[in-house]
Amino acid sequence: MVFNSLTFVGFFAIVLLLHALPLRWTTKKVNLLLASYLFYAAWNPPFVILLWLSTVVDWWAAQRIVNTAAPLQRRAWMLLSVIANLGVLGYFKYGHFLLENFRAAMTAFGIDYQPPSFDIVLPVGISFYTFATMSYTLDVYLRRAAPAKSFLDFALFVTFFPHLVAGPIMRPTELVPQFATPRRATSQQLCFGLALMTLGLFQKVVLADGFLAGPAEVVFDGSKAPGALDAWAATLAFSGQIFCDFAGYSTAAIGAALCLGFALPDNFRFPYAAIGFSDFWRRWHITLSSYLRDYLYIPLGGNRHGEARTYLALMATMLLGGLWHGASWTFVVWGGLHGSYLAIERALRRCFAGYRPSALALFGVGVVTYALVNLAWVFFRADTFGKAWGVLRGMVGANADATPLLPAVDLIAVAAIVGGLVLAHALLRRRTLDVLVARTPAPLLTVLWACMAFAIVIEQGGGNAFIYFQF
Amino acid sequence: MRLTAADRPGVAQPVPIRDIPPQPWRSILAAALLLTLVALGGWEWRMRTLGLEPGDLGDDASAWAEQRRRIDTGNVPIVIVGDSRILFDTDLARFQALTGVRPVQLALAGTNARPFLEDLADSPFAGLVIVGIAELSYFRTQIGLNGEGLQRYRFESPAQRCSLLIYRALSRELAFLDDAFRLSKLARKLVPDLRPEAKRPAAAIPKVLSIGDDRQGWLWTRIERDAARRDDVRAFWAGFAGPKVADDVIAMTLEKTRVAVAKIRARGGDVVFIRPPSARQVQSKEYERLPRVKGWDALLAAAQVQGIHANDEASMQGLAMPEYSHLTRACATVFTDSYVRKLAQMVPRVQLRADAPPALQPADCDALQGAGVIEQRRVRMGGAAALR
Repeated sequence: MVFNSLTFVGFFAIVLLLHALPLRWTTKKVNLLLASYLFYAAWNPPFVILLWLSTVVDWWAAQRIVNTAAPLQRRAWMLLSVIANLGVLGYFKYGHFLLENFRAAMTAFGIDYQPPSFDIVLPVGISFYTFATMSYTLDVYLRRAAPAKSFLDFALFVTFFPHLVAGPIMRPTELVPQFATPRRATSQQLCFGLALMTLGLFQKVVLADGFLAGPAEVVFDGSKAPGALDAWAATLAFSGQIFCDFAGYSTAAIGAALCLGFALPDNFRFPYAAIGFSDFWRRWHITLSSYLRDYLYIPLGGNRHGEARTYLALMATMLLGGLWHGASWTFVVWGGLHGSYLAIERALRRCFAGYRPSALALFGVGVVTYALVNLAWVFFRADTFGKAWGVLRGMVGANADATPLLPAVDLIAVAAIVGGLVLAHALLRRRTLDVLVARTPAPLLTVLWACMAFAIVIEQGGGNAFIYFQF
Repeated sequence: MRLTAADRPGVAQPVPIRDIPPQPWRSILAAALLLTLVALGGWEWRMRTLGLEPGDLGDDASAWAEQRRRIDTGNVPIVIVGDSRILFDTDLARFQALTGVRPVQLALAGTNARPFLEDLADSPFAGLVIVGIAELSYFRTQIGLNGEGLQRYRFESPAQRCSLLIYRALSRELAFLDDAFRLSKLARKLVPDLRPEAKRPAAAIPKVLSIGDDRQGWLWTRIERDAARRDDVRAFWAGFAGPKVADDVIAMTLEKTRVAVAKIRARGGDVVFIRPPSARQVQSKEYERLPRVKGWDALLAAAQVQGIHANDEASMQGLAMPEYSHLTRACATVFTDSYVRKLAQMVPRVQLRADAPPALQPADCDALQGAGVIEQRRVRMGGAAALR
C-alpha cells in the first residue's frame, strides 16, 4: 500500500478511529500491529511471512544475547541475526545480480555458465525492515539498548506501518520506549500530523510525479541523445524528483506517526543547501547515513586508525551504501562517487586546515557540491552505463547527434520547481520546518494547506510507488 | 536546532521529540478543509462546463487487467484487442443486441495490439479474437502508451484492486476525475510551444476518450461539438508524421502475427482482423508510411486470416470522424452493426440472433445522434442496454 492511494486514505481513517477508541493500550498496540501487517500484505500477502521471519529471528537472537554472558556466544547470536537478515536481503535483492555477475565472470574465463532462470520477486521495503531489525540485535549486543520488554513491542517496532517500507530507518531506542506507555495524539498533534502528511503528499504527487518525473523519463529512458540543455534539465529534474519523492514520503510518514501520537526522527534537513559532502550526508537520508556510520564505518575503524584506514572505511561504507540502493553497478558507482567526494573533501580539509572561507567561498562550495551531487545522480537514475555516459556527454555538449527533447514547458517547470527548491533549502539550512511554520501567519498557513490539498486532489496521482520502495 | 542522528555518532539514539509549532491548529484545519472543499466544488463545476461527465470511469492498467482476468474464467467467446480505433468504434451493447454475445474489450488507446494478441495466444483462450488495427500502431516494435496492463494482470496487489474500486465509485459521481485534466497536464497548456522542435510526448494527447463500464469506450462528446477541441486533436495527429515503416519491422510483425494466430487456431480458436475507418486527411499519411499492400494485405496473407477493411465496405462509408481518426458515438454504433453483420457472414462462431434489430446505414448516424442523450445516460448508469 502506498500513502498516495485511495486505499490508504480509507485504511488510515479506520486506523485513526480505532486508535481513538477507549481501548486498553495493549489492545491498541495489537490493532496497530495487525494494521501494519495489513498495510504490508496489501502489496503481496505471502511476503508478510518474510517480515514475520525477520521479526522472530531477531527477537530470539536478542533474547539469547541478553541471557548469555560468554562473549563468544553473544557474538555468535549477533552474527546469526546479521547473517540471517543479510542472507534474506542478499537472496531477494541481489540474487539475480550475483548470478549475472558470476556468469559474466565465468564467460571472461572462457567458461559458458548458464544459470537457471527463475523470477525473484523483490519484497517491498526489505532493505528497510531488515536494517531496522538488525539494529535491534546490534544495539542489544553493543549494550546500547535494553531488549524490548514484550514481543508485541518489538514486533510493532519492526512493522509500524508509517516507517515500514521506506523509512525513516528507526533504532530500537527511538521507537520501542514509545510503546511502553499509552500514546494518543493531542488535537494539536493530529492537526500538525495531517498538515505534514499533506505537505509530503504534495511533494510526491504534485511536484515529483506531476512535474519532475516526466522530463527525467524523456531523457533517461528515451533512445535519443540529449544536448546540454536537455541533459542538465533532466538531471536537475531527477534531483528534484528524488528529493520530493523521498523527503515527501518521510514527511508523510512522520505526519502519519504523529497523528497516532508517535514521534519519528527527521530524515532530511534541506540537503541541497549542503556545503561540502560531509554536510550533505548529515542532511540527506539522515537515518541511513547515520546507520551506515554507526554499524559499518565505525566498526571498520572509522577515523581512529590513521588516514589510510579512514579512507578505506569511507569508501567501503559508501560503496556498500550505493549497493544498498539497488542491485546494479550504476548504484555502486554512485556510492563510489560520493565516497570519492568525501575522501577528497577530507584531504582538502587537512591541506587547508587553517583556512576560514568567506561567505562567497562558502557559496561557491555549495554550488560545486550541488553540481557534483547532480553528476552522481546521473548514475543513480540511469539504467545502464551507456545511458549514463550519454547523459554526461550531453551535459558537456558532446553528443553530436543531439536533438531537442524537452518542450519549453518542461524546461520552465524544472527551472521553477528545482530553482525554488534549492532556494528554499538555502534559506532554511539553519532552521527546521517547525520553526518556519511557527513564524508563518495562521491565515497564510491555512491558504497554503488548502492549496496543497486542492493540488493533490486535482493532480489525481496514479498511485505511483515511491522511488525508495524498490530499495 | 533539533539534533538528528547525524549529530550523535556511535551512541544509542534517543526517542525523537517533535515540537508542534504554536498555531491555532484546529481552526487552521477546519478553515483549510472548508477552503479545499469549496475549491473542489468550484473545480467540479468548471470541469463539467468543459464537458467532463460523471460516469466517465477512465482507463488504467487495473481496469484493463480486470477485463483480462474475465478470460481466465473460460466463459468468454469473443475478445477484442487493438488500439483506440476499435476501442472507440465498437458499441458493445450493439454487438450484444445483434449476437447475444458481449465481447470482452481489451483494446488500448495508443497501444500496439500485437503483444496482446500474443498474450492470448499463450493463454488457453480458444474463442474468437477480433484484432482492430491502425497499421502504424500495429507495425512497430514498441508496445506503446498503455503496455503496463499486461504487467498489472500478471501481478496486481490487493491495494491496487481496492483503489480501482474506490476510484470507480468516485468517478460515477465526480466529473473532474479525468487523467487528461489533471493539474500538471492543464498547467502545461498554459505555456506556449516555445520549443517546437522538441516533439510533444504521446502522453500529452488531449482528451479524446470517454470510458464506461466494461471498458466501453467512446469518442469524447465535446470533440463532436467543439471545433477548437477538434482542431487541437487534429493538430496532435499531424505531429505523428514520420518515416516509412522499415521492412524488418514489417517482416517481424507478419511473422509474430502468423505464429500467434496459429497457436490460437491450434486450440480451436480463431482470429479476424478489422481495420476501422480513418479520414482521408489521416489515411493518406498512414499509407505513405505503410502502403496497404505492404501492411494490411500482407498481414492477412501471412497469417492466413480474414479481415474487414472499412475502405472495402459500402456500409462503412460516409461515417463521421470529427478529428479524422475516430467515429462519433452514433457512427460507432453504425460501424459496429456493419462489421458484426460482416463477421456473421465470415465466421461461423458469430451468428445473428433471430430477433436482431434491423441493419443500420451511415445515414442512421444522425437519427442515433438525436438519441445520444439517452445513450449517454445509459453509459453513465453502467447499463448494457441495447440500442433499439
